[in-house]
Amino acid sequence: MEPIIATQDLKKIYRLGKIHVPALRGVDLVVQEGEFVAVVGPSGCGKSTLLHILGGLTGPTSGSVLVDGNDFRSMDDADRTRFRRHKIGFVFQRFNLLPTLSARHNIAIAQHIQGNGFNPHRFEAIVDMLGIREKLDHRPYALSGGEQQRVAVARAVICEPKILLADEPTGNLDTENSQAVLNMIRELNRSFRQTVLMITHNPEAAAVADRIVRMRDGRVISD
Amino acid sequence: MVNRMILNNILHRPIRTAVSVLAVAIEVGMVMTVVGLTTGLLHETAKRVEGVGADILVQPPNASFLFAFNSAPMPIKVGERLTQIPHVLAVAPVLFQFNSVGGINIIYGIEMESFDRVTGGFVYHSGGPLAGPYDILVDDWFAKANHLKVGRTLNMLNHDFRVVGIVEHGKGARLFIPLETAEDLSGARDKASIFFVKCTELGYSEDTIAAIHQLLPKYQILSIKDYMSMMTSNNLPALNAFITTMIAIAVGIGFLVIFLSMYTTITERTREIGILKSLGASKGYIIQVILREAGLLSAVGIVAGLGGSVIVRKLILAYFPTLSVDLTMLWAFWAALLAIGGSLLGAFYPALRAAQLDPVDALAYE
Repeated sequence: MEPIIATQDLKKIYRLGKIHVPALRGVDLVVQEGEFVAVVGPSGCGKSTLLHILGGLTGPTSGSVLVDGNDFRSMDDADRTRFRRHKIGFVFQRFNLLPTLSARHNIAIAQHIQGNGFNPHRFEAIVDMLGIREKLDHRPYALSGGEQQRVAVARAVICEPKILLADEPTGNLDTENSQAVLNMIRELNRSFRQTVLMITHNPEAAAVADRIVRMRDGRVISD
Repeated sequence: MVNRMILNNILHRPIRTAVSVLAVAIEVGMVMTVVGLTTGLLHETAKRVEGVGADILVQPPNASFLFAFNSAPMPIKVGERLTQIPHVLAVAPVLFQFNSVGGINIIYGIEMESFDRVTGGFVYHSGGPLAGPYDILVDDWFAKANHLKVGRTLNMLNHDFRVVGIVEHGKGARLFIPLETAEDLSGARDKASIFFVKCTELGYSEDTIAAIHQLLPKYQILSIKDYMSMMTSNNLPALNAFITTMIAIAVGIGFLVIFLSMYTTITERTREIGILKSLGASKGYIIQVILREAGLLSAVGIVAGLGGSVIVRKLILAYFPTLSVDLTMLWAFWAALLAIGGSLLGAFYPALRAAQLDPVDALAYE
């Protein structure tokens, strides 16, 4: 079966004035559909950059990236935006909810941007699974960190993305909320065969995944 | 969904919203008031001249249709020749005097008898006609603005005039003095600035104009209809330039404030834009959100500006009763269009900048 993610000799170099900073120095990674993969490594090892490239937020400098059959080498910014809209769900460490919208509308806006209209059945199922029904009319400032992250997870998966990319999803949460959020991501992975790629510092969080990929200095050192 | 987000953004930042709305309201109010005042004054002046009741205006060669700019009077005997033309019912000579007391006005120096024949006579609110050389008639608007009553003294043209009558407005000028006094004061003995000619029937005015042209080939002869059609800002290049300048300033204010407002909004909401981009929002979607927000601010500002211009009109008329402010639907439409156009233009660069933000940088923005 074709892998849902396949990178080969993936490199990313940031240019800061005259200084070139290599963030990825040739990453080879294969992820199968339905897998839950944790990427671990120290700060600055390139995990976030890898996640941003796989999510189409930024382009690679060289190397090949195939995500769900899409070759990033032939995609421009607009193509990657379209790809992100339909195939990717993001969960961030800082939740990144829109502060002026209620939890309900923070979730619904993802469907609005996707343009396929509001799907009430999917919405109800996700809301119940994540246990946020009582909080739907609250704005982010009125929610705890754990509740905000659950809303963010709901927003990320409401459009049935092919891949859920989670960037330190438990980084701002206490142990209890971290475990709850990880359990939910695990549950999404099992129930909906949701492919998950999660980057984390936390070994306990990584342990929830099917597979752990370790990175250092912009390279995968163990898989 | 977008509407809700825009509305919440607007309500979430009340000071920014209030300043933006106020700027657009000032823009719309300024356009409406400046245009309303200029066209109102022109229109009201024209209506007053029409209210004299003459069918034809006879002025010296090269005279302006703006009476205040006329200086070279005609021999008063011309009037006698005009009365002999067929179908002429009455001719009223008038000598203009420029006055700046109690507002800028033209004083009509008139002969009561001939002026009454053309106009059908004044309607007196109080007092009666001119009798003595330093008597003056004032119209009710001027009397109200200057708190005048019959018997009061009014100093103008370096002389004390006694108010002998307060008349209904709309008969050419707001102030009327005897023709002879006006001649003495201007040193123009037996001269007139204009002849108001009334025909026996309106249908004869074309024939009469032709006859007057034959009699006075170089004179300026206008039917009242032609005069009315000339009293627009389009025929006054300086006034048009003034209106255009004022409109440009007003639109500039709206443009700059909306530009600054949306520019600071984009900076403040960089992270939110990054979130929308991470959800797959296209450049067009981001631009649309920003422009719609500017459009909504502008729409509220337009409503406030139109309401404000009605209030300003009431205040102007309360404090300056001799002025006239014409607020028209046509100019309300133009003011709204200019405000929307200016706002969208002002918001376009910030919107474009937001759309071009790098999503990774935007998400990392503190």
